[in-house]
Amino acid sequence: MQQSRKLPLLLALVLAIPAALCAQPYKLAAPIAQKPVLLTSVGQSADVEMLKVLLDRSKIEYKYDIQVKAGGLAATGAKTIVVAIGGSSKGLGAAGISPEAELERAKLLFAEAKKLGVKVIGLHIGGEARRGELSDRFVQAAVPACDYVIVVAEGNNDGLFTKLCAAAKIPLDSVEKITKAGDPLAKAFK
Amino acid sequence: METDQKKLPGLPLSAGLLALVVLVLVLVAPSDLAMRKHDFVRKGPGVTEVRMLSDWFPGIKGGRGDTEVYVLDSGKPGGSALVLGGTHANEPAGFLTAIVLVENARPEAGKLFVIPFANASAFTHTDYMEGEPRRFTIEGASGARTFRFGSRATSPADQWPDPDIYIHASSGQKLSGSETRNLNRAYPGRPDGTFTEKVAFAITSLIKAEKVDVSVDLHEASPEYPVINAIVAHERAMKVASIAVLNLEFDGITIGLEPSPQKLRGLSHRELGDATDTFALLMETANPSQGRLRGVTDEALILKGRDPLYLKAKALGRLFVPFDEKGSPVEARVGRHLAGLAAIFSAYTEEKPDRAILFSGLPSYDELQATGLGKLF
Repeated sequence: MQQSRKLPLLLALVLAIPAALCAQPYKLAAPIAQKPVLLTSVGQSADVEMLKVLLDRSKIEYKYDIQVKAGGLAATGAKTIVVAIGGSSKGLGAAGISPEAELERAKLLFAEAKKLGVKVIGLHIGGEARRGELSDRFVQAAVPACDYVIVVAEGNNDGLFTKLCAAAKIPLDSVEKITKAGDPLAKAFK
Repeated sequence: METDQKKLPGLPLSAGLLALVVLVLVLVAPSDLAMRKHDFVRKGPGVTEVRMLSDWFPGIKGGRGDTEVYVLDSGKPGGSALVLGGTHANEPAGFLTAIVLVENARPEAGKLFVIPFANASAFTHTDYMEGEPRRFTIEGASGARTFRFGSRATSPADQWPDPDIYIHASSGQKLSGSETRNLNRAYPGRPDGTFTEKVAFAITSLIKAEKVDVSVDLHEASPEYPVINAIVAHERAMKVASIAVLNLEFDGITIGLEPSPQKLRGLSHRELGDATDTFALLMETANPSQGRLRGVTDEALILKGRDPLYLKAKALGRLFVPFDEKGSPVEARVGRHLAGLAAIFSAYTEEKPDRAILFSGLPSYDELQATGLGKLF
């Protein structure tokens, strides 16, 4: 009698172990994104170049337009936008645009994405160095428009991303290093 | 009519003052002229040839802009790279890294050109009103090694006077007059230009003639400068720089990546990339001895990088780099540059295996922190 009670428990344990091993280690419960992918930036930082490498390594093909405008989004055919979040004065200078113009472009782009049903995955991979007055303007503008956010932990030391994502009920995953951001990014795709 | 006349000083007083001036000049001149002697650089096991920059542009031959170019040729097929130290002679991690390369690196594939004193004239003087020491000493394995601590710019003894506004020749960009003596605002240079433009032209000519694949300009910046602990890359070099940044992260070294602005002209990462086929990059580390917030500026600050005023600035959130009681020692700064160079060349080799640039004989970042810089000299 005692033995027959133990058997289901044992069986449950045996089934639970592989399930636990296969469990998604990230906050994003299920993949949300579809290809084709458009890679862009909000803040014109060179972090977008590192996202190219991460996407290449994850074998995710993408179109790249660092200054894509709302009007051009439909023509790209993208079903997902991957966006590098964070400001760079050198990058904005190189693009010849002001922070205000960049914020306006982002606002219109995200509104168009919502209208077209395009998912937005935001990544902040620049750590502490990609925070501060300039970058934080782009963080606060971009994060609430995302469907999923990945942050390199050092960039969230003050909990800004946690706060913004919690307020907008956006899944947020934190990774220790830039190189670790590729895995949750790849797992976000169906 | 009465006039209010003053009695002019007599001849003896004037002669006395003149004699005093001459005496001061005689006393100061030897140490001033000694600054013109290039620091000793030992030819390391990888050096196959020592040439002069004037070999690529005779217009600077024999002048104070001419400088040694160390060639480290593996003798094996591959690409080529140029490392510039001493573009700014008050940024010691740049020229010390170049000297470490010359004295220790062993090329395994391709060819390396190293210029430790890119703006040789800038090593002959210090900046006015900065209270900087002229030299600093590192206790090396083979005895004490003394190095000059110079200026950001060419000496006025070699290029004078400064215009009110410096107009960059090929773009028409306007900068403050003193920037006319800044090598990193003079690229791509001109054969018939100023002293500094001729040096820039010679470096550009070397890159073209030797078909240099990758050029890295080693710098330092004050901790309050936004672009620091970073690689600045020309757009063609961006992928290689990105891979390098990710590879450095694997080794626990956090480094930022910044694009070379297309509208900021005269800089190595912009003009060398535009004027030649080279992948142009620049690296920065944090050097409190050139910062505006620093306190006493002495050898200890140059070498240890500890400054209570920078600790205060960090606490106030005014710095763009981590900064604590350990400061920003020269071992850490040179270690970052060495690790950065290795990562860049490795990334380039990964991208273009037929143009491999590989070298050995250098310590890792962690090894250098443990042993100190002196062991390499």
